[in-house]
Amino acid sequence: MTLIMVVDDDQDLAEMLGIVLTGAGYEVDLVSRGDEVMPLFTAQNPDLILLDVMLPGLNGVEVCKLIREKSMVPIVMLSAKGDKQDVVAGLEAGADDYMVKPFDPSELVARMKVRLRRSTAEVSTDLQIGNIKIDQIEHSIIRDGQIIALTRLEFDLLVALAKEPGRVFTREALLSEVWGYRPATDTRLVNVHIQRLRSKIEIDPENPKIILTVRGVGYKAGVPGSPQ
Amino acid sequence: MSPIKSPLKSWRSSLVFRVTTTIVSLTIIVIWLIGSALETQISSGIFDEKLRLSIADAQSTARNTQIQLTFSPYQDKAALKLIFTEILAVPPRSFESSARELAVFSFANTNSKFKYAGTSNLVDPISIPESFREKTRKSTATQWERTKLKYVDGKTESAIVVGHVLTIKGAGKYELYVISSLAQQSRTMSLILQYLWLTGVALTFLIGLITFFVLRRLISPIRDAAKVAEELTAGNLELRMDIQGEDEIASLGYSFNEMAVSLQQQISRLENLSKLQQRFVSDVSHELRTPLTTIRMASQVIHATKESFEPTVARSSELLISQIDRFESLLTDLLEVSRFDAQAAVLEIEEVDITALVKETIDYLHPSQDRIIHLWAPDEPVMVDIDPRRIKRIIRNLIANAVDHREDKSVDVQIEQTENEVSIGVRDYGVGFNYTDKKLLFERFWRADSSRARTTGGTGLGLSIALEDAKLHQGEIDVWGERGRGAHFVLTIPKFAGGSIQSKPISAQPD
Repeated sequence: MTLIMVVDDDQDLAEMLGIVLTGAGYEVDLVSRGDEVMPLFTAQNPDLILLDVMLPGLNGVEVCKLIREKSMVPIVMLSAKGDKQDVVAGLEAGADDYMVKPFDPSELVARMKVRLRRSTAEVSTDLQIGNIKIDQIEHSIIRDGQIIALTRLEFDLLVALAKEPGRVFTREALLSEVWGYRPATDTRLVNVHIQRLRSKIEIDPENPKIILTVRGVGYKAGVPGSPQ
Repeated sequence: MSPIKSPLKSWRSSLVFRVTTTIVSLTIIVIWLIGSALETQISSGIFDEKLRLSIADAQSTARNTQIQLTFSPYQDKAALKLIFTEILAVPPRSFESSARELAVFSFANTNSKFKYAGTSNLVDPISIPESFREKTRKSTATQWERTKLKYVDGKTESAIVVGHVLTIKGAGKYELYVISSLAQQSRTMSLILQYLWLTGVALTFLIGLITFFVLRRLISPIRDAAKVAEELTAGNLELRMDIQGEDEIASLGYSFNEMAVSLQQQISRLENLSKLQQRFVSDVSHELRTPLTTIRMASQVIHATKESFEPTVARSSELLISQIDRFESLLTDLLEVSRFDAQAAVLEIEEVDITALVKETIDYLHPSQDRIIHLWAPDEPVMVDIDPRRIKRIIRNLIANAVDHREDKSVDVQIEQTENEVSIGVRDYGVGFNYTDKKLLFERFWRADSSRARTTGGTGLGLSIALEDAKLHQGEIDVWGERGRGAHFVLTIPKFAGGSIQSKPISAQPD
């Protein structure tokens, strides 16, 4: 069974989340303090973490950083503020997605499903983007013989771009493809993750060759095999 | 070094230049007047002195000659000639002294035996004008006149001629003239004039220079003040004026700095207030949102099992959900408004094709009803620097309003651009509004018709937020409306970040 770790200091909300998620068929583990997350995380090894930003003990952004040092598990931040700084801080700390309270529970479940979905075996060919090889079966990417560790979301983002090398993806298109969003939502999510991804795979993130920006439109994949 | 400005521009822009020029001009006029007066005074003084000497000299020469002639032992022509020759044998002019020449003429009616005419040192007799000789002959007193001393070789000099009549017993009357050259005096005069000129020029230059530097010194604190004021305006509130001494200029500096300090205090006080407001908004936001999330989830769980409820309870759960939605959008709008009030709203500029953005918004609002909304837009993309979230919110609001009030008629959305501006017009042909309500439209919670508008939803904050969003982009929203003829809302924004609106591609007033 899929285990979800819910980290929120509001007991009622945590309990309600527990009811909704159990109803959706997940196993739920409730944590109420930020500094309690790491011991439980190592013990339980959950499949996804719902993480509130404001937490006693240790705040959500710090917790997120700690988890990312150890694991690529999907993290969805629950933010009550929705202000740019909080959202960006969470995303930069390594969160894959965020939900602004008050969120629609069905939307939350839908997005969790996208984050939890395993890549299906329908595409078995290896993809190439720039001088990077993507092994979809092994779920790994290799640059110059070296394996680069990516979160599942970053991997999905890269695969989405690499699958259609000629296409220019708008931010909205990437949102619905990778995050499973309806259109007309926040596109900052895309910007932050593209930057994170670039910092991992590009040799010079300031001058990207693998993920190219198309001004005023969005992003596209660099030419496969092109020298960096 | 800045490029040299045209004199006219310097005149207008530089106080130092203006005052220095004025003072130098006045100095030139005063020095010229004084110089001319001095020249006249000195030259007449020199001339008078020379004249006095010349007359005295001529008189003594005449007396001596008269005595010589009167007491001469010889009274014949040869003796007379000898005496005259002796008298006329004046030594020629030496290098430094002025020429002094003599001339003797016998009267016209003198016995031909004693006729005589002679000059010293080859002086041309025409140096003594005939009119003057006439005057001398008729008078017994000493006569004088200015004249030109001419030599036979053509040399001329200005001079004074003094005339006398000599009477010789048995021989008749003779005219004796003493001509004194003024060459020495002219040289002295021109030398003095030269010094006067030099002094004048040097004085003018000195006064100009002193004025310039004194003024510069006086003006420099004022210039500093202007510079500091500019910096303060630009937001550099830490800057102060340098103050030296305790004079009037220093007190200007003190007052200026006090003003800057109080300005800075006011601004930081306002900044603190704004920060406090932001904190409050953020806290309220957090405290309200968490329970709202729980309520929402609970209501959904209840709603999901409504089939098992009695009809009234089922309907109640539906109402609960719709009111939670309404509460939420109200909360979101209120937070946005308070963010504007705290001036905490920030633009996140991206370059976006506004046509695509409008199309997306229309699709989002009415995925299947494109027959209601007609879009008129340029074929090519219209790239603009905007915060897409805010502009989308404005467009969504304007179109949603139009659709709400259209009364089964279509809605026209139009995009027009000029070089630097783009307009998006949303026109409906529905209920419209009283034109006098134009200003009220953007007021918070204002409703055109409270009895009916409530059913069409909306928080009552939409247009107010749209206007704030437009202002944040340096844009404007123009409105036209008439009861029964519909309404026209036009959003105009500059295409490039930091620009401003010069013209409006679409006018709100319909043709």
